[in-house]
Amino acid sequence: MELEALQQIHSDVRALGAEIVVLTPELERYTRALHKKLNLTFDILTDLHLNVASQFRLVFTLPDYLRDLYKSFGSTLDRFHDEPEYRLPVPARYVVDKLGTIRSADVNADYTVRSEPSETVKQLQRLVGSQ
Amino acid sequence: MAELQQRLDEFKKTFESGAPPYNAPHEAIETMHRATAELKATGIEGRSLKAGDPAPGFTLFNQDHVQVASSDLLRQGPLVISFFRGHW
Repeated sequence: MELEALQQIHSDVRALGAEIVVLTPELERYTRALHKKLNLTFDILTDLHLNVASQFRLVFTLPDYLRDLYKSFGSTLDRFHDEPEYRLPVPARYVVDKLGTIRSADVNADYTVRSEPSETVKQLQRLVGSQ
Repeated sequence: MAELQQRLDEFKKTFESGAPPYNAPHEAIETMHRATAELKATGIEGRSLKAGDPAPGFTLFNQDHVQVASSDLLRQGPLVISFFRGHW
């Protein structure tokens, strides 16, 4: 749902001279399928072994009991991520200015809570207006 | 289309009702709640990078196996970076 919501604001983001990228630990064969399925116009980048997410300090390891539960649903992260340790990024959305400084950070350990993309557009408008 | 949070709330309500199409067992929902609470309790949200911090740069492959560098994107303008756990 996050990706569809970002797709909806992509033209507004582009109009402000900004861009969107999505980072996921999933391997390219899965990002390619997802990108196509959702008709996305921005890139999904494979953050192999969560190297970038680690630098943003967003990585956690799934507890054993949750790993077992997901396996019972048929979800195996080692297949999707080449990631035997079952690590994941906490859902997060950042706005970074042209100088590479983070201007807003929306990080929530509860993956059912997300900030609105319209707020992200407003942040970009303020940022572009102040430059 | 409804706001993102509204759609997430609706999904959560359907999932946690145990009804089709997910048919989530009650124990599974309890387990997921426990995991979220434990993850919050680790303080990971507070430790992650914040407004004012420099954003780490990266060069990664996109869905078409083309290398994309954050430095190239930032030359054009501001950047929204979303971390997504995957579609599974």
